[in-house]
Amino acid sequence: MDNNDKKKSRREFISKSLFGGGLLASAGVLLHHGIKFIFPEEKEKRSRKLLVGRVDELKIGEAKEVNIGDRSLFLVHTNDGYKVLSAICTHLGCKIKWEGHRDRFYCPCHQGIFSPSGDVVSGPPPEPLEEFKVEIDKNLVYMWIEETTGGIV
Amino acid sequence: MSGKVKEWFLQRIPINTESTANAVNEVFKEPIPSHMKYWYYALGATPLILFLIQLVTGVLLTFYYIPSPEKAFESVRYISEEVRMGFYIRGLHRWGSNLMVIAIFLHMVRVFFTRGYRKPRELNWVIGVLIFLVTLTLCFTGYSLVYNQLSYWAATVGTNMLKEIPLIGTLMLEFLRGGTEVTANTLTRFYNLHIIFMPLFLLILLAVHIVMVRLHGVSKLEGKENEEKTYPFFPEHFYHTLIVGLFILVVLSSLTVILPPGLGEQANPAVTPNHIKPEWYFYGIYALLNLLPLRFGIYLIIVFIIVGTFWPFIDEYIKIKWPKIKVHYFFGSLCAFLFLLFTVYEMFV
Repeated sequence: MDNNDKKKSRREFISKSLFGGGLLASAGVLLHHGIKFIFPEEKEKRSRKLLVGRVDELKIGEAKEVNIGDRSLFLVHTNDGYKVLSAICTHLGCKIKWEGHRDRFYCPCHQGIFSPSGDVVSGPPPEPLEEFKVEIDKNLVYMWIEETTGGIV
Repeated sequence: MSGKVKEWFLQRIPINTESTANAVNEVFKEPIPSHMKYWYYALGATPLILFLIQLVTGVLLTFYYIPSPEKAFESVRYISEEVRMGFYIRGLHRWGSNLMVIAIFLHMVRVFFTRGYRKPRELNWVIGVLIFLVTLTLCFTGYSLVYNQLSYWAATVGTNMLKEIPLIGTLMLEFLRGGTEVTANTLTRFYNLHIIFMPLFLLILLAVHIVMVRLHGVSKLEGKENEEKTYPFFPEHFYHTLIVGLFILVVLSSLTVILPPGLGEQANPAVTPNHIKPEWYFYGIYALLNLLPLRFGIYLIIVFIIVGTFWPFIDEYIKIKWPKIKVHYFFGSLCAFLFLLFTVYEMFV
């Protein structure tokens, strides 16, 4: 290999590397932007304190449904005080119902049953209902909830 | 005159007419094993015919369907009740999807029990399984578009199941839902998957599947490879396929007229209705998840899909170890029995 060929091959190597590198970098940038586009941004969640009821509103063993935005919750008066539980079943995300006459929450999708305090009694749910922080101030029941983010709805 | 027209086209599309004619001729003369004269061995073409029907009716439905949570249900009602022949086109599409699941399932059962997947056709079985899975995905995304109670809660439950898949579950959930919750993003994504990505993927899979069948030739019955006679694809098998196509159209039309698809109740994210159930072909999975712990049930389904996909290789290995035992009979019968058992169980529970 003479000097000229060496130079040529070096030049070729540099040009191919630059070309290949540029192509790879562009593909990487495109992929990165594409993935960012596909997966919507999870905005920073802020906790908010919300009024959900009055202390004398429910007797022990009673529950009422509370809707905050598109989120469904239950305010329950248990022996241990007030609790706010998510109305979404921990099995596959169906909405549970309060069955006061049976003192339980019931999921119609796979017949999961939860106690008034949100513990799994029977059926396939793998864990208790999500519980939210509750605060009692004077005669009022407040809860702390994170604002949800999602699509345009 | 026709000669001039032909010449004009040949100048602009320079193909070798002779070799093209030979290739077409070869396709028509493809030797078909004589057992294919029995109807139950000729189910392979039915999914393709149904796919073409789904393609045509699906494109027609997009003329009126609106993929938005506020308007989706109303647009389906409009198609079913006000658009001329709307109920018919929607009915063909709905029943076509049901028949497609049945047709692919029956074809797979036939191939499985006759060991049509044996060497060297293992990869075509894998493609066949993918075709079945993509078809089920199309069915799932399809009935989610109606945006009735079944649609909404099926989308919720179905995507929640994905979350349990190890490593990629959460990513898949967020990809499909377009966030962490079922929102408008979910509907538009399902729509996209249903009308573009999945049909395109299925078209490619079907094309590869058919090309592979052609390259290998239709498999002969096991043990009769040397003695079984063949006959050319055209005319007998070709007409056979046409008759199957006509029969399917008659069945679809009858089902549509006798049992037109209903609308159900509009989706209400605030209420999960009692007795919510998916379409019948998901009953087995639904029942399984009711009876088993969630994660275990999902893992079991994943293992089953992996074993089913790579069964030809597993079967080959077992055959070398225990040549006299027909394990595929046991495995196939057990799967068919369990599938039927769970489906019937869920039907009556």
